[in-house]
Amino acid sequence: MKLWPLRRANGDAAAATVTAVPRGQPHKQVLRPVRPVFIWASLAAGLALDLLPWGRTPLVPDFLALGLVFWNVHQPRRVGMGAAFLFGLLMDVHDGALFGEHALAYTLLSYGAIALHRRIQWVPVTSQSPYVLALLLVAQLASAAVRLWVGGASSNWWVGLTESAVGALLWPLVTWILFAPQRRSINRDETRPI
Amino acid sequence: MEYGPPPLFNQGVSARARLAFFSFLAILLIVIDARVNVLDTIRIGVGVMLYPVQRVLLWPRDALTHAGRYLVTVGSLTHENAQLRESATERAAQLLQDEQLRLENAHLRQLQGLRERTGAKTQSVQVLYEPRDRFTHKLVIDRGSSDGLRSGNPVIDEQGVVGQVTRVFPMVSEVTMVTERDQSIPVEVVRNGLRCVAFGGSEPGTLELRFLAANADVSSGDAVVTSGLDGLYPAGLPVGTIARVERDVKDQFARVIVRPAGGVNANSVLVVLEVTAAPLPAPSRENLHNERPVRRSARQ
Repeated sequence: MKLWPLRRANGDAAAATVTAVPRGQPHKQVLRPVRPVFIWASLAAGLALDLLPWGRTPLVPDFLALGLVFWNVHQPRRVGMGAAFLFGLLMDVHDGALFGEHALAYTLLSYGAIALHRRIQWVPVTSQSPYVLALLLVAQLASAAVRLWVGGASSNWWVGLTESAVGALLWPLVTWILFAPQRRSINRDETRPI
Repeated sequence: MEYGPPPLFNQGVSARARLAFFSFLAILLIVIDARVNVLDTIRIGVGVMLYPVQRVLLWPRDALTHAGRYLVTVGSLTHENAQLRESATERAAQLLQDEQLRLENAHLRQLQGLRERTGAKTQSVQVLYEPRDRFTHKLVIDRGSSDGLRSGNPVIDEQGVVGQVTRVFPMVSEVTMVTERDQSIPVEVVRNGLRCVAFGGSEPGTLELRFLAANADVSSGDAVVTSGLDGLYPAGLPVGTIARVERDVKDQFARVIVRPAGGVNANSVLVVLEVTAAPLPAPSRENLHNERPVRRSARQ
């Protein structure tokens, strides 16, 4: 397997910043430490967005899954598979699915994100989307496999896979929103208009 | 970013071990939930905990629909009013006739000494939301076990059978649509009284009449109603109309696709019939003795 070539001489410094900035950009921002309250609040917001009565509206991504991928990639020490599992159980009850179906999907998603987190952080945000797409697809296929195994799936279940594509397209936006509190500058600018 | 300890030091249980543990737990839960009902107490507990959150999150949608309704123009309201009045006058004559027929029917039944058909207790319910599940089609309604709903109660709308209550929580319950693959409902064709069982179709949103002989007398356009043989669905509720019949020479059964009557348009108000399935009478000794010789002769 071909590994990613080390393009930078100062590889350690690149790994220390959270997002890899595009090549050739001299300025690398060192992010502020994340606040755990913000992590859990954002995951709760993702859950709330999923609990909205979307019904069978097509192309609505799984916001909670996106949040879990983000925090598993960027803070794998704080958000792990246990949290993903518990959020999955909540989604199972809300969706009336089999107990453990979303839990299994989110556990796999979380493992994939943790396993790939150094690689994903290495590439620019727009190139991270394919990785995210793959992770979301694996999670959706896992729950589809459970349904096909238990025998309660309708024949057009694969239509739902488009949601993963929408989720992957939203990834840069998600990254921008969830990094916003960490990107604030340390020295408060008193002359700022807002 | 904060700097954690370098990876060569202790990081707790490895990711793979955690993956194995949680996937095993999830698969265990799935298997237990698919086979036995012991997890229902946990599910009800989580459901009760989620209920206030779910209700709060329905507010934005309800506010939007209220705003939409408020902006309905007078023109469309007068139009609708005129239409309703027209249909009311149309139905008035029919209602009078129906009343007469009902009286006549009651009289005839009394004459024949037939048991009066008892009307089931009904409850009108609101649809709260449709779960986002891509694999099954369910509805969540705003009444639960505290209102007397039980798992198995039939659910109808003004056009016909919608489905069946399949899971009850204290405040809400889940309704599985009749078009789901694992649902079945005993029906009869109105035109000739042919009885069969309708199952959820392999095409989404349809029903299928299975085990009808390839030369069975059904054709597209026939109305299909419940036969009431299961003791759960009252007889005569419209289920749908036959959309098409495929008769294959190779196959001994006809493939009959039924378009459902109820649950087609997104109704927000449904009616639950509080029917409890009467257990079938146990076969008496005489019946058993009578049946045995028949079976033997059939085998020979």
